[in-house]
Amino acid sequence: MRTRLLAAAALVLFLVAAPALAHHSFSAEFDASKPFKLTGVVTKVEWQNPHTVFYLDVTDERTKKVTNWSFEMGSPNGLMRNGWTRNTLKIGDVVSVEGSLARDGSPYGNARAVVLASTGKRLFAASSQTEAQ
Amino acid sequence: MIRVAGVAIALTIVIASFWTADAQGPAARRPAEPAPRLADGTPNLGRVPGEKGVWDVPYIQNMGMRIPGADGRTAAERGPAAPETGGRGGAQAEPDVPFLPWARGIYDYNSRNNSKYDPEGFCLPPGGPRMMATPYPMEFIQQPEQKRIFMVFEGATHIWREIYMDGRAHPQGDALNPTYLGHSIGHWDRDTLVVDVVGFNENTWLDYYGHPHTDLLHVVERFTRPDKRTLHYEALIDDPGAYSKPWTVAWNIPWNVDGELTEYICQENNKYLQKLTDDFGQSVVGR
Repeated sequence: MRTRLLAAAALVLFLVAAPALAHHSFSAEFDASKPFKLTGVVTKVEWQNPHTVFYLDVTDERTKKVTNWSFEMGSPNGLMRNGWTRNTLKIGDVVSVEGSLARDGSPYGNARAVVLASTGKRLFAASSQTEAQ
Repeated sequence: MIRVAGVAIALTIVIASFWTADAQGPAARRPAEPAPRLADGTPNLGRVPGEKGVWDVPYIQNMGMRIPGADGRTAAERGPAAPETGGRGGAQAEPDVPFLPWARGIYDYNSRNNSKYDPEGFCLPPGGPRMMATPYPMEFIQQPEQKRIFMVFEGATHIWREIYMDGRAHPQGDALNPTYLGHSIGHWDRDTLVVDVVGFNENTWLDYYGHPHTDLLHVVERFTRPDKRTLHYEALIDDPGAYSKPWTVAWNIPWNVDGELTEYICQENNKYLQKLTDDFGQSVVGR
């Protein structure tokens, strides 16, 4: 039963994450071995192809220094299939982002999932990181 | 005691049968619906009236893993996909791909830099079999009365291709202008749509992993719909400019019953290209 549940969970995850869109090489730009989880305030959203990009003011807890990060997600068609609309993220929203950091060390990352602080809703970001054969 | 053992065995059988059914997934439990046909009896590779549906083209990154072996199965079907963690095996890891030396060299280069210069990253379209490996929905529009078939692709730049079914030949010589998607002529071989394609330009890769091709590329595609929810795709890759002999790749494409095409215009805000630098650190745009 447990196995069946796990299998079902895996299937659901697969179905949700399946419409991963491919544009450029994920691994040329991002490092899957450098995961991140960051929380901040949305400052800008570019709901555009081939990647929706949003910007987040993230405050360093220790130094209180604010850095404006940007995160790449899938394209609007892929995001809409994952339950997004162009108004899902609004300027001023507090969100947590999970994904992989850019290889060049800049405050930039590939977002795999986004959690909205106001609702706790977790949304898959149609990332191209699902690089199955 | 025997009764207890009998019950245990019966239970085991019941559980095992559940497990088997479960392992095959819900799709396997549902009897496969036959592929639909058009009024004239030809297989319908698209929708039936009153229903939605698109083909959910899978993300196939490496066609070297999709070569059917002696048992008819590909490496991807035989074993779990190798995780892509940066290091790739290059040509050495693909003994079944008949690389010519230069093709081997450029493939190794593409492996080492993680496909940094993939033309799809520049928002250029896929050419040849990669159209069926770039993960955006696709539809067939058959027009038997006009002797042509369209394939409409949402992704990798919102493209369509026309397959001439009127018996014409490929243009010869300079009349064949090299293009991204090539010149496609098709015919039905029983229930298989066979499409012969030539006239490709050299601006595309065969796949994300960067198998190269030249303008000598000749592709023979075979499309079948074994049941309503499955499209089987097979492509012969015949390019004497890059490979010492033809090789074949194959995979299945699932039908998404609720799917519809949406818009995807890759060129809108391609920050990747804006940031892309060459091996000497120089920007590749504006030069």
